[in-house]
Amino acid sequence: MEWLLIFEKGIWFGLAAMGFAVLFNVPTRTLAPIFVMGAFGGLTKAVMLHYEINVIGASFAGATLIGFMSIFFAHEKHAPPPIFAIPAVIPMVPGIFAYRMMIGLISLAGKTDNTTYTRILSETTNNGLKVMFILMGLATGVGLPMLITRKDSAKDLRFKRNRKVTG
Amino acid sequence: MVDTPDKQEIKDIGDTLLEIAMNLLVSGASIGRIRKTVERISANFSFNTYILISQRTILLNMYDSENDCVFNGLKRTAPHHVNFTMISGISRISWFVVNEDWEIGKIKEELARVKSLAHYPRLVTLVLTGLAGASFCRLAGGGPLEMGVVFIASTAGLFIRQETTKLNFNPYLCIYFAALTASLIAAGFIKLDVAKIHEPAFATSVLFLIPGVPLINAFSDMIDGNLNNGLIRGINGFIISFTIALGLLTSMAILHF
Repeated sequence: MEWLLIFEKGIWFGLAAMGFAVLFNVPTRTLAPIFVMGAFGGLTKAVMLHYEINVIGASFAGATLIGFMSIFFAHEKHAPPPIFAIPAVIPMVPGIFAYRMMIGLISLAGKTDNTTYTRILSETTNNGLKVMFILMGLATGVGLPMLITRKDSAKDLRFKRNRKVTG
Repeated sequence: MVDTPDKQEIKDIGDTLLEIAMNLLVSGASIGRIRKTVERISANFSFNTYILISQRTILLNMYDSENDCVFNGLKRTAPHHVNFTMISGISRISWFVVNEDWEIGKIKEELARVKSLAHYPRLVTLVLTGLAGASFCRLAGGGPLEMGVVFIASTAGLFIRQETTKLNFNPYLCIYFAALTASLIAAGFIKLDVAKIHEPAFATSVLFLIPGVPLINAFSDMIDGNLNNGLIRGINGFIISFTIALGLLTSMAILHF
């Protein structure tokens, strides 16, 4: 049952990725890969969270998987990798943490009561730092294939047998 | 390689390169991609191109093989609007230029075609964005009822954003209106006790507005060494987040939530 709940999350991650893909007006042929990438990236994160790995590390791992998958699909569907990668990682953007940080920041500007102030301050800092590090992890993870292979373009980069690609 | 171009052709190439850079920038490409694309195309016409990109203007200089400056142009950008079909189309153009020696006329033609490509039908965008919102709600721990509420809230929010954008409001203000609408609807349903689990329904109703492209691009630009552009994009993302929070706060104040 527990695992079923985790795997169900994959569908929602995929759907969220697809919603953003349409909002970003991606070419139609890339929609299905984006769903798959969003689902698998999200699942990686969910499974790692299940084993109590830090949310930052889990997001980074999910984004890295998406980064490598984006290179594969870029060759398959003839579109640049970010087109696949950015919508697919968006569901992992820490929206709830960002929301809590923003609400915290605004209440910090108002409340001056000493006891609650320290608590809100520490919560806000915690949430804000999580947002920052998760975002850094997402951007690094997505870019990782290009960073470690030191290639200028995904065209020169392939993980499979050599095959002529045009377009 | 194309024959040495005459004056008119040089001006054409320069203008087209500026147009391409501008379209990439407003569509949400990273700075590294813009620079690579422009250099790739201009190298095929045997020009060296140097480009300076800021959020609202692009400066481009072109040098010929004798290192004489042959073109120098500055362009103001259109309002930023994420459009990945544009990025994909321009990437395709750049590879056709390299592999099939496209001439400048052909590039301009193809660029015009990519620009005229239709967006998704409005209804599809609205429904899928609503679904994305509902998915976020589910991921944050909401049940079917909460998901329904967020679906309605997100769809209405995006509708308001599209309408206010058409009315030429300030872009941040459009996001504020959208966040306000979405969170008001979500909070209204919570007040009526339709949605039982509060935070997921309320917080995720505005998540379709999160500035994912500016924030992710901010970090990828910084990793790339384009600190200026990265910082600016980060600040843009931060202001958008702040605007969303303001929308949430307003509806909290209205409904004493």
